[in-house]
Amino acid sequence: MSKQLLQGNQAIALAAEVAGMAFFSGYPITPASEIINDLVNRKQIKVLQMEDEISSIATVIGASLAGLKAMTATSGPGFSLMQENIGLAHMMEVPLVIVNVQRVGPSTGMPTLPAQGDIIQCIHGSHGDYFPIVFYPNSVAELYTHTITAFNAAEESLSPVILLSDAFISHLYETITPQSDFPIKNRERPPLGSGSRHFTGLSHDNSLPKTSDADNYRKLITRLREKQLITAQQYNYYEYRECRNETDTLLISYGALSRIAYYFKNEFSLFRPILMFPILGDLKRIALQYKKIIVMEMNTGQYAGEIERILHREVTLLPVLGGRISLEEIKNALSGVVTK
Amino acid sequence: MGNNVTKDVQFKRYLKLELLPTPWCPGCGNGIVLKTICQAFYEINFPLQGTVVISGIGCAGRSAGFFNLDSVHTTHGRAVPVAEGIKYANEKLNVVVVSGDGDLMGIGGNHLLHAIRRNTNITVICFANEIYGMTGGQVSPITPKGVKTLTTPEGNPDNPIDIQHLFVGNKSFFARTSAYHLSHMKKCIIAALQFNGFSFVEARTMCIVNYGRRLGYKNSNAMLNHYKETYKINDNAEELAPNEIGILKGNFQADEQLYQ
Repeated sequence: MSKQLLQGNQAIALAAEVAGMAFFSGYPITPASEIINDLVNRKQIKVLQMEDEISSIATVIGASLAGLKAMTATSGPGFSLMQENIGLAHMMEVPLVIVNVQRVGPSTGMPTLPAQGDIIQCIHGSHGDYFPIVFYPNSVAELYTHTITAFNAAEESLSPVILLSDAFISHLYETITPQSDFPIKNRERPPLGSGSRHFTGLSHDNSLPKTSDADNYRKLITRLREKQLITAQQYNYYEYRECRNETDTLLISYGALSRIAYYFKNEFSLFRPILMFPILGDLKRIALQYKKIIVMEMNTGQYAGEIERILHREVTLLPVLGGRISLEEIKNALSGVVTK
Repeated sequence: MGNNVTKDVQFKRYLKLELLPTPWCPGCGNGIVLKTICQAFYEINFPLQGTVVISGIGCAGRSAGFFNLDSVHTTHGRAVPVAEGIKYANEKLNVVVVSGDGDLMGIGGNHLLHAIRRNTNITVICFANEIYGMTGGQVSPITPKGVKTLTTPEGNPDNPIDIQHLFVGNKSFFARTSAYHLSHMKKCIIAALQFNGFSFVEARTMCIVNYGRRLGYKNSNAMLNHYKETYKINDNAEELAPNEIGILKGNFQADEQLYQ
């Protein structure tokens, strides 16, 4: 394909089609609406506008079980509504992609401004233990590439994969050259209507509900977890820029905010996860080389907490709140935490 | 198998017999509805491959797993949109939802409203027992006014939903039937399955353990007798009175082809 000037959300829509998505269901919400607006014009894709986000993800689960690659897109409030069915999709092993274009929360918050407040909700938003694969690109080109990655990871793991974005990169226009020669993973499991299987949100073993068998439940959860880790290993995307100058500090950031982090490449080493979850060994290995770790994010320390948990040590928080990304403010905040 | 097997038993091929008994209480009417659905499947020769049953949560929600075909047991209230996703993804599939009145009209009520509006070509069979039975007997959207339940100890202060009114003026299909009127139930289910559009069968059925017992019914037979004495059949009705069961006359009847 030739060069195109695309908005982030349009790049997601285009990539979804390239990945083989045949079904989309969603509910209008700022700043994700451009995705459904774009997709309705792609004739190969069945698009439904549902009555809410609960039914949006429910129809996506149904369509996926029926054999189609399927996706929904939303922002924080809708993502909250989807949580119960995300758990269902994990339990029933239904591959699908959920795009969450983050805006400032909680509640209605600041609907047109970017935030990164849904990081923990991605992994703990639904009840019970489940182990989602989460990607977070930081440019229009990456939104394109990793929408395809997300579909491949979903098919590989038979699980709902989350593609995070934010109001900043989803509304950003950049010139990209969309490639279409990616390896595309397709479904091996036969679609609904071809067997006598029972898909259930109950703890189960091979189509049979097992509602009071602890051993079976432990086996099931272990298998689901291992499956996610094995898949994530194949999509272990991150960006690590070692500082040219002497430094003992690693600056970790992701999504919109990681774009401003490049400004500090001569002062700190930079780490940017693209695969946000599960957190794999590379982050730990790299982080252990630094005395000081700063986690800069558009929330009050959600990813920082996860990193502390993995490293078993304190990291420095640098919250950028309220949707305002100002280089001056960040410079000041950084010099504040560095001299401490 | 073959010709020697009577029609009475052949419906059993739609069930995973090895999973019986069901988890339902003695005297529960759900088994009657489950069996009648299978008989309806058999009479119109629904293929095992190519038919999908979807359920929500609750006593009736557990019925999906007993069908000898691909089935999906979803979250509470979401059976209808999951079924719609399946149907829109593969229009060749026969898509049937089985769930309770609390699941379909309470927590899932908004989806029902919009599925009727979209007229999605699926069939919903509602096991309407007027109570949240699995959780012990709390008031449901169709518990009659004044009836005492665990959560309405002074009697239900609210009017029940008369769900048929959602269908008036729409092109969708509505029928009400009861667990006493077996051949009528089968007729309603077959008509619903053959209907080209959204079809809904409200099958009144009894919960003796967490409902009828507290209302003074001696046993489940007494509840069936109540259905027998209460309900008059009025098919092709403009509107069903509270003491009537039947198929609602709708816009669809103008189009004979829809019945095929």
